[in-house]
Amino acid sequence: MQTKMRALLFALGSFLLTSAVVGHAYYQRKQFYPSVVFITKSNPSMAVMYTQGFVLVLLVGKLMRKLFFGQLHAAEFEHLIERSWYAVTETCLAFTVFRDDFSPKFVALFTLLLFLKSFHWLAEDRVDFMERSPVITWVFHLRILCKILVQKFLRKIHLIPRVILSALLTLLGALDYLFVNSAYHSTLSKGPSVQLVFGFEYAILLTITTNISIKYILHTIDIESENPWEAKAVYLLHTELIVGFLKVVLYGLFMLIMARIHTFPLFAIRPMYLTTRAFKRALQDVIMSRRAIRNMNHLYPDVTPEELANSDSTCIICREEMTSGAKRLPCNHIFHTLCLRSWFQRQQTCPTCRLDVLQTAQPQAPPRPPPPAANNAQADARPAPPPAQPMGHRPFHMPHVWMPAAPRQGNAGDASSDSTAGASASSSSTQAGPIPMMPPPFAFSFPAHGFPFPPPPPFFPPPPISVPLPPANFEGMTREELEALVGVEEENIRNRIRCLRNIQCFLDAAVLQMHQYSTATGRHIFTSNDEPTLPNFEGLLKNLQEEARKVDKEPEGAAGFSPPQAPEEIPEEDKEAAELRKLRLQRFSPNDDSAK
Amino acid sequence: MARYALRRLMAEYKQLTVNPPEGIIAGPMNEENFFEWEALITGPEDTPFEGGVFPAKLQFPSDYPLSPPKMQFTCEMFHPNIYPDGRVCISILHSPGDDPTGYESSSERWSPVQSVEKILLSVVSMLAEPNDESAANLDAAKMWRDDRQQFNQIAQKLVRHTLGLQ
Repeated sequence: MQTKMRALLFALGSFLLTSAVVGHAYYQRKQFYPSVVFITKSNPSMAVMYTQGFVLVLLVGKLMRKLFFGQLHAAEFEHLIERSWYAVTETCLAFTVFRDDFSPKFVALFTLLLFLKSFHWLAEDRVDFMERSPVITWVFHLRILCKILVQKFLRKIHLIPRVILSALLTLLGALDYLFVNSAYHSTLSKGPSVQLVFGFEYAILLTITTNISIKYILHTIDIESENPWEAKAVYLLHTELIVGFLKVVLYGLFMLIMARIHTFPLFAIRPMYLTTRAFKRALQDVIMSRRAIRNMNHLYPDVTPEELANSDSTCIICREEMTSGAKRLPCNHIFHTLCLRSWFQRQQTCPTCRLDVLQTAQPQAPPRPPPPAANNAQADARPAPPPAQPMGHRPFHMPHVWMPAAPRQGNAGDASSDSTAGASASSSSTQAGPIPMMPPPFAFSFPAHGFPFPPPPPFFPPPPISVPLPPANFEGMTREELEALVGVEEENIRNRIRCLRNIQCFLDAAVLQMHQYSTATGRHIFTSNDEPTLPNFEGLLKNLQEEARKVDKEPEGAAGFSPPQAPEEIPEEDKEAAELRKLRLQRFSPNDDSAK
Repeated sequence: MARYALRRLMAEYKQLTVNPPEGIIAGPMNEENFFEWEALITGPEDTPFEGGVFPAKLQFPSDYPLSPPKMQFTCEMFHPNIYPDGRVCISILHSPGDDPTGYESSSERWSPVQSVEKILLSVVSMLAEPNDESAANLDAAKMWRDDRQQFNQIAQKLVRHTLGLQ
């Protein structure tokens, strides 16, 4: 506020002073021409006039800014100030080189250059901001809220800033071109002078304008299209590369020519360094991106939509659902192709487990069996069987028949409905938990039990029996064959044990489920009958515990699992509980249809 | 690039508002610019920072989930892993390329799997357990190691300061 007031006062004072000086001159000389001579002859008057010129330029700049950009964002303003300081310092350095040509015209030209530069920066920032601001949601909301007519009208309004921006870009481009042209002609006709510097500066500004315009067009296309435009990143990278190259060439030429004609241009070192660095980065990006694209296409298998539908598929990079266009890394983690590609431009590791994919990708064989949830899809996706799978045990190999994938999912889902629901609600904490080894497709794997990994990989339909069944008696088999057989049998036994364990787990889950169910129905009784209040639960529990202790004490009691209580043994205060239990038993008995 | 970043930031913002972790509030400073966030972190219990509410700002790069954000406390802080100007120095905020202290293995560095929530949770645990091996504030690290009582006193003072009691 205070700086604004001060600026206003300064502008006002300057206007007053100027009018005073002009008035005074005119009062003295009475005529136009003599008064002009009078003013130019007197140094104080000229000082006032220069100040006035400065103020006018600032005001015009403000006006233009308001016209083209409206209110500046805080970040833009900071950026502008920072860059202007550098530009002013460099201009002062340039003055030292051209101190012979120093004149008001020279200063004016530099000021103009500075202004144009600042507008280039602002335009650049604004175009970058286009990408960052959540405009798309705004349009989206409008689309939902408004009817078509209203929507069209509003969209036009929304387009206005863009029209202004494109007008500005055209204007800047035209101005740059004009100045380059004039500098070129003046250098040709009058020989090398300061115009050389301006020519180069404007040429560089022209490249910047081109860069901004291309970016602007790309962004506009991207915003207008409904779904994100995939190829945009590649276009942007290449634009950046070409413009960077042009700038480096321009700066190099400028340095050379300046060093030959005048002196070494100190003031151009910083921008030259920055452009070279930017160019180097752009080049690196392009190379990395090419490599990443190549790797994506050749090394990693696509994940089919069915497979994605079967698993809980959120891409951990963009946190969005994967429906198509996903890739599987050797470590079994699945990501969007595009997300993965942009990450591989930075690093060749798996984002989840940091496996160095370039090294492990070479053998092409997946180190771990893929999930059985997607048997058939997997078979489609991978025609060749992985070499790690011994074929011999196929005929004996049963587990996937006992444990088909679908019921498994259903069971797990039911039994742990409470816990998984909670877990998936706070998905980011479980999914991306500190244990990165957990593959994302198994988000529904049993959190409470630490569900064992799916039984061996039945990911193709049993092949036509190519290996003959071993004969019933083992005569006529070589030692190696026998050994192989033993190995196979061992493997089978292991599989079976694993299977049995799985079944055990399911049983546990079922018990848990029953328990939950019973508590739920118990509560239901309370609420419906309204008679026994909650604290009776504790009594019940105590009762049970006592009984358990009794059973423990009497050795013969442990053998028979008689119903825990006979009605005559019940103490007075536990009667209610007993009744409750009876009620519950009634509810539970399968014949009773009244129970819910 | 930035479009993806924006969508991911929105998703995270939604996640944080729907399901806020305990003791942490975070969100964009204004809805126009999702790339600058403000966060409030409560000091973890049973530490000298208990009870404090520490404001910080997060600045996201335009390629966000690929590069880590920067985090800076906007209040005065005295902690081995926080630079005197408030910048936070923890390993998950560094991309695997740069290593300012030379003590971090690349496995604890930034990766797109990390999120704002995890950053803030790690900052909370950093407040509870400073890592004096890779110190950003040498004075604080030295005091934390040698003169814990004074360190606690200073932390307490800062807590009272953030609560506006002093």
